[in-house]
Amino acid sequence: MFSISFMQRAFIGSFLLSITYGLYGMFIIPRKIGFMADGISHASLLGIAVGLSIGINPLLPALLLAAFLGFLLAYSADSSKVTSDGLIGIFLSGGMSGAIIIMAFMPGYKPDLFSYLFGNLLSIQNVDIYALVVFTIFSIIGFILQWRALVISTIHLDLSKVINLPTTQSKYFLFIGMSIGLILGVKLLGVILISALLITPVMTANQIATSFKGTFIITQLIGFFATFAGIILSYSLDLPPGPTIALLLVAIFVFSLLQSKLSS
Amino acid sequence: MLTTDLKLNSDHVNIVECHDVSLTRNTTEVLCEASCCIPRNSLTFIVGENGTGKSSLALTILGLLPGNDGLICLHSQSSREPVLGYVPQSIDFPKQFKLTVSEYLQYSAEVKNSEIEATLARVDFPLNHIASQITQLSGGQVQKLLLAAELYRKPDVLFLDEPLANVDDSSEKHIIDVILEIRNQGVTIAIITHDWNMVSNYADHVICLNKNFACTSTSACLCKNSLSKVNIKNIQKVTPDPEHMHDGFCYIENI
Repeated sequence: MFSISFMQRAFIGSFLLSITYGLYGMFIIPRKIGFMADGISHASLLGIAVGLSIGINPLLPALLLAAFLGFLLAYSADSSKVTSDGLIGIFLSGGMSGAIIIMAFMPGYKPDLFSYLFGNLLSIQNVDIYALVVFTIFSIIGFILQWRALVISTIHLDLSKVINLPTTQSKYFLFIGMSIGLILGVKLLGVILISALLITPVMTANQIATSFKGTFIITQLIGFFATFAGIILSYSLDLPPGPTIALLLVAIFVFSLLQSKLSS
Repeated sequence: MLTTDLKLNSDHVNIVECHDVSLTRNTTEVLCEASCCIPRNSLTFIVGENGTGKSSLALTILGLLPGNDGLICLHSQSSREPVLGYVPQSIDFPKQFKLTVSEYLQYSAEVKNSEIEATLARVDFPLNHIASQITQLSGGQVQKLLLAAELYRKPDVLFLDEPLANVDDSSEKHIIDVILEIRNQGVTIAIITHDWNMVSNYADHVICLNKNFACTSTSACLCKNSLSKVNIKNIQKVTPDPEHMHDGFCYIENI
């Protein structure tokens, strides 16, 4: 299994995704915008549909669309007239509707679409891995530079500004970076389930950890374990990788929740 | 448009001066041509009834609210921008954020590991809670933690919003002593409060806001409902003429 090239790509890709998603998830969950991951990924289906219909790599228009939506969400995050969750709901329904309408105009069976919906180990190419490597490096550097601003602005926006931390810059980094990251993980987990890797490891770590540092370490370990084990199961049992990884993550979360309740 | 003017190497008696500052939030006029000053190294109190714009005035000076009009002058004695500090009345920490007390100090004020205990001891924070999560602290403990972090940053002007609101009686005296101590060390303190006993006992300077106006007056000023209950001595300056106080700003200084 480990000598097969597409499995090697899947393992490398999942390792990189678990690192970056763990980092973004650490700040997405406390800000109560976990739903944003679902909204962006579902809306990006419109970009995938456009790509499939005009015959280009569907991830390119999906990336552009996701980055744009991430920018809009960051821009409107402090607005008193537009709430983030409302805007995410609009993106989600608008994007999905647009994608379905475009698909309706495309004749015949659309096997590619199912790969993007639920993930497909075979579909991960070298170029996807290169893109993930670049994105992981970009994300890690970004988090190193913005870490303090992200932590303090998550707690209290005004305090972060008084301390002169780059609060606005860190917000755009978080929103746009996460949106791009979601699209780069679509081939592994699929549009429908991509948010599971962003949300569930952090939620699980929160049941166990007693410090911020602890949350970080446990999030990374759970993300890595679930994707690694999920890919092995997916290959062995001939299951789609997205639902397999998502189910594993949910199982770990339920276990941690029960363990946490019992110990308290 | 509100302008902030930074004057470096300035020995001006006031570290902050507000001239005709106006602020509108969601179509409601919060401040209307409010002018006031915060004297250097003073313990200044910002007082007034609920909804008169006390916090908004402080947040505008801190640059957190975009004022509509006016001028704010910051006079720095050195060649660098003055460091402004702020301790909000309370913080609703996200429960999903497992930050500990020591981690908060490290991120907010870059406190070194070796200095965490001394930083917390300065504000009488119970040291057995160093490893506790900030979401598990009481309101008073949060207040002390925020104050400890801001003091570590060595601000030139420190704004405190109701610093004794959640603090028990035994800690109240300690926090007041800390405030007086840092004032004596040269830090300018601006406190937003409703605690008139504190004002009468410790104020060097009072900015009194009433409705949309920061008002200057004697003991018979627009804040008379509250001021009449306490003995504030030696009000020396009245600007502008009390006869016109309803039309402009008013503040009490040099108490």
